[in-house]
This record gives sequence, structure tokens and C-alpha cells, in this order.
Amino acid sequence: MFEVNIRKKLPQLDMNIAFTLKKGVLAILGTSGCGKTMTLKCIAGITNPDSGYISNNGIYLYNSEKKISLNPHKRKVGYVFQNYALFPHMTVYQNISYGLGLFNSSKNNTAVSDIINRVRLNGLEKRYPHQLSGGQQQRCALARTLVTDPEILLLDEPFSAADGHTKHILESELIEIIKSNFHKPVLLVTHNIEEAYRLSDRIMIIEHGTTVQTASKKEIIDHPKTLNAARITGCKNIFPADIISSSGKETIIKCSEMTIRAIGKPPKKNNLHIGVRAHYINILPTETSQPNTYPCRISEVIEGIFSTTVIAECGSNTFRAEISKNAPILDICRKNKKLFIHIPSDKIFFTSE
Amino acid sequence: MNELNYFPLFLSIKVAVLATLTSLAIGIPTAYYLSISKSRIGDIIDSLTNFPVILPPTVLGYYLLVLLGRQSPIGIFLEKNFDIMIVFTPIGAVIAASVVSVPYLIKSAKTSFCEIDSDLLNAGRVLGKNEAYIFLTIIIPLSWRGIIAGITMAFARALGDFGTTLMVAGSIPDKTLTMPIAIYNAMQADDTRTVNLLVAIMTITALSVIFIISRIGKKRKTQNV
Repeated sequence: MFEVNIRKKLPQLDMNIAFTLKKGVLAILGTSGCGKTMTLKCIAGITNPDSGYISNNGIYLYNSEKKISLNPHKRKVGYVFQNYALFPHMTVYQNISYGLGLFNSSKNNTAVSDIINRVRLNGLEKRYPHQLSGGQQQRCALARTLVTDPEILLLDEPFSAADGHTKHILESELIEIIKSNFHKPVLLVTHNIEEAYRLSDRIMIIEHGTTVQTASKKEIIDHPKTLNAARITGCKNIFPADIISSSGKETIIKCSEMTIRAIGKPPKKNNLHIGVRAHYINILPTETSQPNTYPCRISEVIEGIFSTTVIAECGSNTFRAEISKNAPILDICRKNKKLFIHIPSDKIFFTSE
Repeated sequence: MNELNYFPLFLSIKVAVLATLTSLAIGIPTAYYLSISKSRIGDIIDSLTNFPVILPPTVLGYYLLVLLGRQSPIGIFLEKNFDIMIVFTPIGAVIAASVVSVPYLIKSAKTSFCEIDSDLLNAGRVLGKNEAYIFLTIIIPLSWRGIIAGITMAFARALGDFGTTLMVAGSIPDKTLTMPIAIYNAMQADDTRTVNLLVAIMTITALSVIFIISRIGKKRKTQNV
């Protein structure tokens, strides 16, 4: 069990991070400058928080009350830096064996060759980092840290340098290598919800240095706790809402002039908003008897590669609906501007500041 | 026609080599400290290291005399316990040359230490290495070029020092008379032939040493990229 509960005051930011991780991959999701990398640096001991504790399997790496702060070289933390931080004056082999020490026995040599095979860098041992591709550099950085047998692995924006095409290849390679060679907790820092969703088991959202939600990825997508969490997880439709009535399972709310039914109970908080993800919204050619169906005006149809975004206006509310490319409704949207929008009441979530 | 006395040449080279080694021993740790220090003390030391560059050599020499002379506490201590005298000895010449050359080494080394990506050092730390190991295996190899440049400058400065050396070590023939002072003496004596010869020797020596040092730097460079 890996536990973090730390506070740190920075010039721009008050950090307050708390989470636990039993196993698997936890993605730390947040906008740039929200304290994601700083969290990793505190865990690795590169910098220290002001107070709190960091423990792994009951052993404190840091505890402000007990005045414990292990040096980074004693923490057994594996860290893959954003720019990989490979030593430019050393070969692949020297980089990977660095953590084991220069004067070690042949046992270490087999450990190094073994990991080189596992990350498929065999044949490249004598190359220097600048002679490697981005993916090879990343695998080299991963091998360099895995060979030291860390207790936890930290990955800082591992794909930020890769372009769209290679990114998917790198992602699947990396996750496959990690899953088959490392069975301890992994923290993955990212600002990309897609990446977080694909690679992790759980997601923690950080907002202005503070943990706002840690949950399974499904929970994060279905019920983001705050407005920013909803935005960063890619929700396009968020509206301020007033509750008209809430009884049992159903809540009736008013967004501007629209009256909407939603399944679920709203939290008792000020500044209540509702959100619904773009791919749940349907555009219909004719009015139906389903609840939450409203007349709308199609203002724009934006062609994407895999799906098309339809922008529909209902009074003062503007909805974005994501519709699959081959849906027949798209042709109707292009020709006919006055259609109907349907918001499934079980797909609406409540959120607040 | 008197035989040319080579003593000043050998003394100058000896003094310059020893002064460069002293500068390395003092300069590299100081540069490292300055590159990581964020404290006021670091700033003060940083300013102090510029002193030998901005002060007139004679003024610097005078300070050294005050600090290390036979009447100073350090001078008395050294003479009493180790029978070492600094003023008007070759040791004095080495100290004078070291003081004038060390700022160049510190400045050059510090700049290259600061240029190293801090994540490389953090990577070393997280990989379980202590600061000394990181210094030797990452910082020194990556700032090799800057250090070589610093050594070159320090050596050139030590080889050519006139004023400070004259103040501290004097110009005792066959004892503390270095090349630059020998050239000056020959000039005073109107011995143009000796002046020309000594100047030529000095120029060739300086150029070849600098060439050799920069060759060593180049070799490392091709390895490192």
C-alpha cells in the first residue's frame, strides 16, 4: 500500500495532495502547472513537502511529524523523467547499469543484459542516447530504473514528446513492458484524459495543487466531482442548474429556460451544475415522447476524423453532440436546421465548483 | 656573448603547472559549491572570486604580502612549525600565480556546472547514487569542455603573471626569477637579443601548451558528442 498525504506551499500554488494506491496504475490528471510533477518530485525525494507523510508498505519515506525524510537514493523509487534524462555521455549499456554501480560483479551484468532484452534494446548497447529514437530512449530510461528493482514506478508525462502516430505505438509498448516486468504500484502523470483512461486503472484529478477526486476511471468519467474535473475529463456540455424538485431517484432541474429530468440525487452544494458527455446526446429528426426532448437549432456541423460534432442551440444553451460518421441523422442535420435534441436522463451528472 | 640562462623558463613552467594544479584543487570544489548554492554566502564568495581579476596585480601582491608575510600570523605559524617561508621563495611565486589564475577556472567550471540539466542529477540521485558519485560520473564528464577551457585560461594567466609574482616572490636570479620578469630585466639592461629570444621562447611555450590542452579537450569531445 502506497500512501501520500502532503502539503507544500509554492509561490503560485498551495499543494494539498492525498491518495492511496494498492496496486496497478494510478493516473495523475491535471492541467499544466497544477502540481503533478511536483508531486512526483516530493515522492522521489528530489524536493520535500512542507508537511504530511509519504509511506510505502508501512515504511515512511517522508514524515514531517516524525522528522523522517529519506534521501532520494534510499527511497527505492523508479522515476522516468519527462525528457527521459538519459546520461548523454554514456552508452545505453552504461546508462542502464548506472544504478547498479560501476564495479559490480557479473551477476549484475546478467541483470543488465536481461533487462536490455526485455525492453528490446539488444544490439543497441553501445549507442549513445542521441543515436536512439524517442521510443528507444524511453525504453532505455525505463530499463535504467527497472533494473534497480524499485518499489514504485513514477512516469512523468511519458508521451508528451511523441507525435500522434508514434504515441499509440509507444503507449502500447510501454504498458506491455511495465505489465510484464513490474508488479508494484505505478504513478503516471498526464494532462490527457484519453491517455489516462487507456493506461490506468484509477485516476486522480488535481486542481490547483489539490486532489479533488480519486476514483476508478469509470467513476471519474460518469461522475466528475467538480467543474474543472468535468472539463479536464473532456466533458463539453456543462450548464449551471437550479433544482426545482428532487424526489427519490429523480431530480428536476432548470437550466435557463429548459426543464430537465435527471436520474440521481444532486449534492447539497452551491453553484450546482449539470454535465452530459457529448457522445450521449442524440439528435432526432422528429419529436418523440421520451423525456428531455427539446426542439433545437443546428448551428454548426464540424467534421472530425472518426466522429462528427453537431452544435445544437436550445434557447440560450448550446449543446455539443458527438455523432458517429455513418449515422443517417448527420445528413438530416446538414440539410434541416430545425431538429430535436434528446438528453438521456441517466447520463446526466451533477457537479459543482 | 653570455650563455642564455634557461632557469627562468623552467621556473615559469614549474610555477604555472603547480599553480594550475592548485587552482584545480581549489577551483573545482568552489565552482561546484557556487553552482548549487542559493545562499547569501555563495553570492559573497562569488564576488570574492572576482577580486584577483579586478584588482591591480601590485595591489593584490601587497594583500598577499600582508596576509602571508613573515610578520603575519600565517607567516609566523608556517615559519615556526614547518620552517616554510613564502615571501621571496618559489612557493610565493606559486601562490601568487594560483591566486591570479583561480578565478578563470572557477568562472569557466561554474558556468558548465550550471548548464547541466538538473534532471540528470536527479536521475542519478533517484537511481541510488550519492552526491560524490554523481559529481564524478555525471557532472565532471559533462562539464569537461568548460573545465579544459578554464585550465587553459588559468595556465596562460599563471605563466604570464608579472606584477603579483614580483611583489610576493621578488626577482632573485636562479631562485624566483620567472620569465616575464627576466624579459623585463633584459629590456632594462637594453639586451634586445635576449629579449627577442625570451619572448620567442615564451610565445612558443604558451602556444604549444594551450594547443596540447585543447587537443585533450577535443578528444573527449568526440567521445562525448
